[in-house]
Amino acid sequence: MDDKHITEILDKASIAMLAESDLNEIRVHVLACMSCRDAFEAARLSAVVLTSRAQATIEPSPFFQTRVMAALREQQAVESVPAMLRLWRSAKALVSIMAVTTATLAVVSFMQPAETTPVAETASAYSEYSVIMDRDADEQMSYEQVLSTIYEDDDEAR
Amino acid sequence: MDLDLARQAQDGDESAFAEIVRRYSPRVFSVASRFFRQRTLVEEAAQEVFLKAFTQLGSFEGRGSFEGWLTRIATNTCLNMVRGAKRRPELTVSDLTEDEQGWLEHQSAGNGGEPASVETSLVATDLADRLLSVLSPEDQQALLMIDGEEASIKEVAEATGWSESKVKVRAFRARKKVRDAMEKLLSYKNKGTRADSTAD
Repeated sequence: MDDKHITEILDKASIAMLAESDLNEIRVHVLACMSCRDAFEAARLSAVVLTSRAQATIEPSPFFQTRVMAALREQQAVESVPAMLRLWRSAKALVSIMAVTTATLAVVSFMQPAETTPVAETASAYSEYSVIMDRDADEQMSYEQVLSTIYEDDDEAR
Repeated sequence: MDLDLARQAQDGDESAFAEIVRRYSPRVFSVASRFFRQRTLVEEAAQEVFLKAFTQLGSFEGRGSFEGWLTRIATNTCLNMVRGAKRRPELTVSDLTEDEQGWLEHQSAGNGGEPASVETSLVATDLADRLLSVLSPEDQQALLMIDGEEASIKEVAEATGWSESKVKVRAFRARKKVRDAMEKLLSYKNKGTRADSTAD
């Protein structure tokens, strides 16, 4: 028994489309071959369910044409707007928020008063360094006073 | 006539395109119904098909039939929608509902000649969907057209854009896969039946 031959017949076309000669050959063969009988039964049932499935079509509703035309008009309305304008319309809220935030930060940055860095003036106006470096102090003190201030520390160090 | 309608629609004649939609909706719905069972999905697919067809009207040169051209757009649109859906590699009898198992037993017992009721048709259709889920969407379409709608190889080739040889090969393999899946279901069912009768 050529099982492969029988299954090839079953698979080459739908059972409904098989030639009468093929069907006769199958009927004779399956009388003696159980595996091919199962294959034939499976092919027969498959054809039944596929036919049933093919008949389960859905018809268009009376409103379908209206629905398509409305969708088409909407599609054309969108396409008639220039791309940049469409982009602006969808993004303008975000762009506006970003612009306002940037402007606010800029205003806050420029409006704040400049802070002066504190100078740690722990030494007196007449400390040796300030005396030497500070020209205003020189104007206030005499020449002798400046010299005595500078060399006073040297004497103390000796 | 179809070429004239297409040209008028392309030039902005809304009534011409509305006529195209009216005339070919049944055809497009028929194609979409091969891929989807739910009305909402079929309508969604069909609408998408017509919107695409409108933008591609300029590519229809009138060499083939307008229906064939539109059918190809419908097929490609539906395939894009279903691609990526998971396929079930194997069916087992435990996947079947009681109604489906009952239908199989009823058919196997030689009662297939009785007129099908609405309920049994629904069960058979559900079973078909389960069997077809082992195939790719393209093979599902080819097999449904040939075995379900008795379409010719040429019609399937026109709808899919395949060569006739490719249609025959794909249909052969698809038919074998579906038959194998059905055989497995029947063998599980028969084992269960034999076990039940032994227990009795």
